[in-house]
Amino acid sequence: MITFSLNGDSVSFTGDPNTPLLWVIRDEFKLKGSKFGCGAGLCGACTMHLDGSAIKTCVLPVAAAADKAVTTIEGLGNPEALHPLQSAWVEHNVPQCGYCQSGQIMAAAALIAEKPGASGDDIDQAMSGNICRCGCYPRIKAAILSVAGSPLGYDATAVEARS
Amino acid sequence: MSNQTLSRRHFLKTSGLIGGGVVVAVALPGCAFQGPHPIEVADSGFVPNAFLQITPDNDVIFYCPSDEMGQGIRTGLATIVGEELDVDPATMLVKAAGSHEDYNNPEFGVQGTGGSNAVRVFYEPLRQVGADTRALLLNAASLELGIPSDQLRTDRGFVIVGDNRYPYGDFVETASTLEMPVASPLKAPSDFQYIGADAPRIDALAKATGTASFGIDADLPGMVYAVVVRPPVAGAKALKYDDSAARVAPGVQAIVPVSSGIAVIAEGYWQANQAAKKLTVVWEENALSAVTSQQVRRDLKTALDADDDTESTHEGDPNKAFAAADMILETDYYAPFLAHAPMEPLNATLHITEDGAELWTGVQFVGAAQGVLERLTGLPRGDIKIHNQFLGGGFGRRATLSHIVEVAEIAMSIDKPVQLLWSREDDLRHGFYRPAAMMKIKATTDEEGRVTAWQARRSGANITAQTMKNALPGVLPSMPTSLLNGLVGVMDYVFDNWAVDGSSVEGLHETYSLPNYRVSHASVDHGLPTTFWRSVGHSYTSFAVESMMDELAEARQIDPVALRLKNLEDKPRMQNVVAQAGKLMADMSVPETHHLGFAAHSSFGTDVAQIAEVSVTNGNIRVHKVTCVVDCGLAVNPDIVRAQLEGAVMFALTATLYGQIDLDGGAVVQSNFHNYPILRMNESPAVDVVIINSDTPPTGIGEPGVPPLAPAVANAVYRATGQRLRDLPLQLT
Repeated sequence: MITFSLNGDSVSFTGDPNTPLLWVIRDEFKLKGSKFGCGAGLCGACTMHLDGSAIKTCVLPVAAAADKAVTTIEGLGNPEALHPLQSAWVEHNVPQCGYCQSGQIMAAAALIAEKPGASGDDIDQAMSGNICRCGCYPRIKAAILSVAGSPLGYDATAVEARS
Repeated sequence: MSNQTLSRRHFLKTSGLIGGGVVVAVALPGCAFQGPHPIEVADSGFVPNAFLQITPDNDVIFYCPSDEMGQGIRTGLATIVGEELDVDPATMLVKAAGSHEDYNNPEFGVQGTGGSNAVRVFYEPLRQVGADTRALLLNAASLELGIPSDQLRTDRGFVIVGDNRYPYGDFVETASTLEMPVASPLKAPSDFQYIGADAPRIDALAKATGTASFGIDADLPGMVYAVVVRPPVAGAKALKYDDSAARVAPGVQAIVPVSSGIAVIAEGYWQANQAAKKLTVVWEENALSAVTSQQVRRDLKTALDADDDTESTHEGDPNKAFAAADMILETDYYAPFLAHAPMEPLNATLHITEDGAELWTGVQFVGAAQGVLERLTGLPRGDIKIHNQFLGGGFGRRATLSHIVEVAEIAMSIDKPVQLLWSREDDLRHGFYRPAAMMKIKATTDEEGRVTAWQARRSGANITAQTMKNALPGVLPSMPTSLLNGLVGVMDYVFDNWAVDGSSVEGLHETYSLPNYRVSHASVDHGLPTTFWRSVGHSYTSFAVESMMDELAEARQIDPVALRLKNLEDKPRMQNVVAQAGKLMADMSVPETHHLGFAAHSSFGTDVAQIAEVSVTNGNIRVHKVTCVVDCGLAVNPDIVRAQLEGAVMFALTATLYGQIDLDGGAVVQSNFHNYPILRMNESPAVDVVIINSDTPPTGIGEPGVPPLAPAVANAVYRATGQRLRDLPLQLT
């Protein structure tokens, strides 16, 4: 049995420990916000946080999450209590088809948590593992920059504490 | 209250709906009303037509007839209907329409989304729906309030009398007893408050919070998962297979042959995926089995050089003009096969019960999906319910029905709801592709740059017959298979021998006013399935035409923008777009190592010019910025127009720099994003968009930003390096 924290709740999984975390989260725990895009860690649609770091979960065996904290898009924020990046995503009209956006936001949230004042180059580097086929990159970048440069500041620890 | 209940019951009886509500009108001309709309009517809902539902609580629900695949159509069409209904689209609840003839695309005759036509074809009809519904609500308010309707006005979902504001919802019960007005007057564009204004996308919040539901997110109690092992070479059948190891793999429930391969059904997707690897299959060989990419390119060139093609269209006498020319350029351009690679791999979830079938998926042709299920399951059409979800990208890939056919065959073999999911490898290797194209352009100009003769020829596979082969079983569900096969065969024969498939040659001459031209085609089909790919034929014809325009400009020592303007004298809209873009380009100051390239192309009724700012370092092409000028008529939501152009630039730049599907032994070589790379953020250019102010009716916007990008970049690369690249993707030697 593998036990881990999922968006702040302790959960356990008794199936094949080699099952990628993505499928455990989607099919066992029914959180559908994280997406399947490539199954090879190449596109980032499945990005979640593992102890606060962005990680591609389509190639991560669930066993690797044992006793760790997993945060998904559902744990980052919700329509009633948005993460600042989610607000920025709406303000910048970022999504097109929207399928990759959970992964984009999770990758961006990990970056902002680590580097609250991330520069354009930091963003390019941190986000280049996430593909957007609709090509929303200019808006994704603008949305992240608006949060990174927000005069209101941003308390990364408050968000991670929720998870 | 008792009156209300009575009236509702009365209408329930007349409409045959269960759950409440009324259906009183058919909104679009040419659409036949057959049976109730697939609207889940709330207890107290009022449904004046197929598109709108208004509740006593004043919730306004819009049933969107077009599929949302990122192009912003739910926002766009809600804006159009909301403008005349006088309801802020941002406050509407917008849902995907179920499958019904009333939602047919007026141009397609079937419910579907493609060809960048949705805003254009629904612009007038949905304004009328909004205006008529508003007039109906005013009539009801007039009756209830005892005030003549010409003394009433509306404001964002309220009827206004003096200082009093009455929600529309107050009048829906009365409205449901009145006749629907028709041909109510529409607003003058100068009175628009929503159309033409930037507004947030209606689906942005759901998509930023992971709550937007895609086909892959369907999850039914007791659902099992299926994957299909498909042949390496398209269309090959399994001669034999050994499933002894796969059958006993964890979670496996069944292994069944389907028409496209062998399906493995398991308790979870991961288990199905792992078990499928244990299956060994011997596949037959077919005509495609020996084909390589090199051979395709060779065959396409041979076909063009053979001069044995079919004329598509001509004007004047190009041969006479060539005979008098002092300079002739004749050049080949090539574009390879491409995959769509939408981020959401194809999937479909089907539950067949005694009462009917329910499908959750993402598909661009809901009507054809319903039809193909009708054909395969034998269920009456009315018992087949389609829940079309947000599409995780379409680009034409979801215009095909392969995932619907597969899930139907699988679901009929097992007594449980089943979700079929394609892997990325399945997606890239077993797709329907943008066909490879060889184009030969022969052209000359007078000394001032006016093109006096133009001959454009294309060879390659056609799209329409192949796509119809896939779609017809769904579009004509009751036609017997033998007749259907006959029809498809005839279509194939016609396009191979007699007539030219318009999709194959579109864009080879239309942008410019050419006095003497001939466009022709040689069909060469190696058997790899093809279909529409964002901007279709324009995706490659623009590369040839716009590269040639720069080559002609150089031969005549004329500025490339000036040469284009010379050939646009009868095309004022494009002439203006090119002139505006030319001015922007002339005023651009870029670093010494950066170079600018220009291209323009008309497609889907829209005119686009692009300027690419490019540098080349150690043979690597880097695009720093793309400036777009677009005339798409009235921009319903300018910010979505900008987003579509930004996205089109990225989509086209992927194809320009990387896009290539290769064949080896008939099998697609590329398998995932490591060898079919998609542009990433660190490679993405800045995009500026200038929208020409216009109050003419809107034209397409999902696709027209794609065609000019490749030639704009190629033209810039030429300026940077002196190398004229005539093959896509662009690779310096």
